Amino acid sequence: MATLSGAGSFPAGSDVVTACAGDREQGAEVRLQFRVAAGRVVEACFQAFGCPHFLAAASWLTDRLRGAGPPELEAWDWREAAAALEVPAAKYGRLLTLQDAVRAAARNWPGATGSTV
Amino acid sequence: MNGVVYLDNAATTPVDPRVIEAMSTCLGVDGDFANPSATGHGPGRRARARVEQAREEVASLVGARPAQVVWTSGATEADNLALLGAARFYRSHGRHIVTARTEHPAVLDACRQLEREGFTVTYLAPGRDGIVEPAQVESALRPETILVSLMHVNNEIGVVQDVGAVGRLCRSRGVLFHVDAAQSAGKLPLDVERDCIDLLALTAHKLHGPKGVGALCVRPEPRIGLVPLLYGGGQERGLRSGTLPTHQIVGMGVAYRIAALEMAADSARIARLRERLWQGVAELPGVELNGHAERRAPGILSITIDGVEGESLLFELPGLAVASGSACATASAEPSYVLRALGRSDRLAQSSLRLSLGRYTTSEEIELAIAAIQRAVRRLRAVAPRGGAS
Repeated sequence: MATLSGAGSFPAGSDVVTACAGDREQGAEVRLQFRVAAGRVVEACFQAFGCPHFLAAASWLTDRLRGAGPPELEAWDWREAAAALEVPAAKYGRLLTLQDAVRAAARNWPGATGSTV
Repeated sequence: MNGVVYLDNAATTPVDPRVIEAMSTCLGVDGDFANPSATGHGPGRRARARVEQAREEVASLVGARPAQVVWTSGATEADNLALLGAARFYRSHGRHIVTARTEHPAVLDACRQLEREGFTVTYLAPGRDGIVEPAQVESALRPETILVSLMHVNNEIGVVQDVGAVGRLCRSRGVLFHVDAAQSAGKLPLDVERDCIDLLALTAHKLHGPKGVGALCVRPEPRIGLVPLLYGGGQERGLRSGTLPTHQIVGMGVAYRIAALEMAADSARIARLRERLWQGVAELPGVELNGHAERRAPGILSITIDGVEGESLLFELPGLAVASGSACATASAEPSYVLRALGRSDRLAQSSLRLSLGRYTTSEEIELAIAAIQRAVRRLRAVAPRGGAS
């Protein structure tokens, strides 16, 4: 496996948004973190347990979502990763786990209703 | 091997050069290519002699007489001929069969076919160590039981069943005993007379012989009745019609002859390598052995590695040819039913590896495999939430 860009975690802070999704017992679990400033993602990282496609998609997301704000996160759709990475149809369900995490990040955004950050 | 460490010898083995050489003498115009059933001419008789020599070599390895050996296309066909053939022949005596949940699909699927034909099958659950105790078999026997089927060495986890004890039990109760010895023949001592085995399924390609040939050893006295699966030329005393593949059979015979000569030394060396492999991977936390710690075939090591996903682990090991704990490397892969029968969760079953060694495995390859597995597991745990901890 090539080095996975974006793998890792940020220290907790008021400018860090964290979102988790999935279940290791179901074969896919992800923890996304975004460092945010001025309403935008300035840096992202991930930790993930899952198949190679899942890990690759999580890594790809950390680059793809740089510059995004809550509306873009809320609207992000797993099909974009499927197309960009040519993920086989059998793995689509795992990408939904990533979509859950991205949308959870929008809800956890500082100041968002129900934010847990 | 093209830069890949081959540790999938339980799936198949490379053919021994001595076997290849013998097989090549049965193919060309100057060789023993003739139909061994065409004994009306010299070339046919020479081919027949080669087939009969191989029959002796195969029989000798398992304590059988040559006349007991029926050639098949492999262990799958031998298992099917044993189960379907015997059950259909003796159906008027009873319609109950006993086997284990951890048997090879060649046995389990044959049993399911028999269920469709009106038989009842008891599938015994092994202990968490993979062992089926003879007392379990005894408890499952009924007056209408006609057949017990138990593999000698499990193909996924390598545990060794006490087929001798089960064989003696079955003989004392007048029940036929079938053993799939695809993973054990030539690697562990086996004797159909001593172990009271009525039907023994064998293959060549797990023992550095060619693919596409196997045998079923059938108890001669009293002769076990079998309904054939194939009809045609009446070869193999009518039990298995079809032109005998001389080169394949000769290859199997030579492979078995070599195994008889080298089994003790090979098995001891391979067991030492397997132990070193286990010690090396066990340096990682969260690694567990699947199956009984001592009752194991020399060449099979099955491990479960917590905190890594099975497909990603295989993806991280491009330099190793190993088997995973799932049926195939897709999102819908079913976890191994054998590991589940041992009580492993679906996730842990999918985080398992089978590493199987063979005659050509070297200590250098084992060290490479240990280093590769340690590196891959550490990398995957490093990117997992909570460092891979559950």
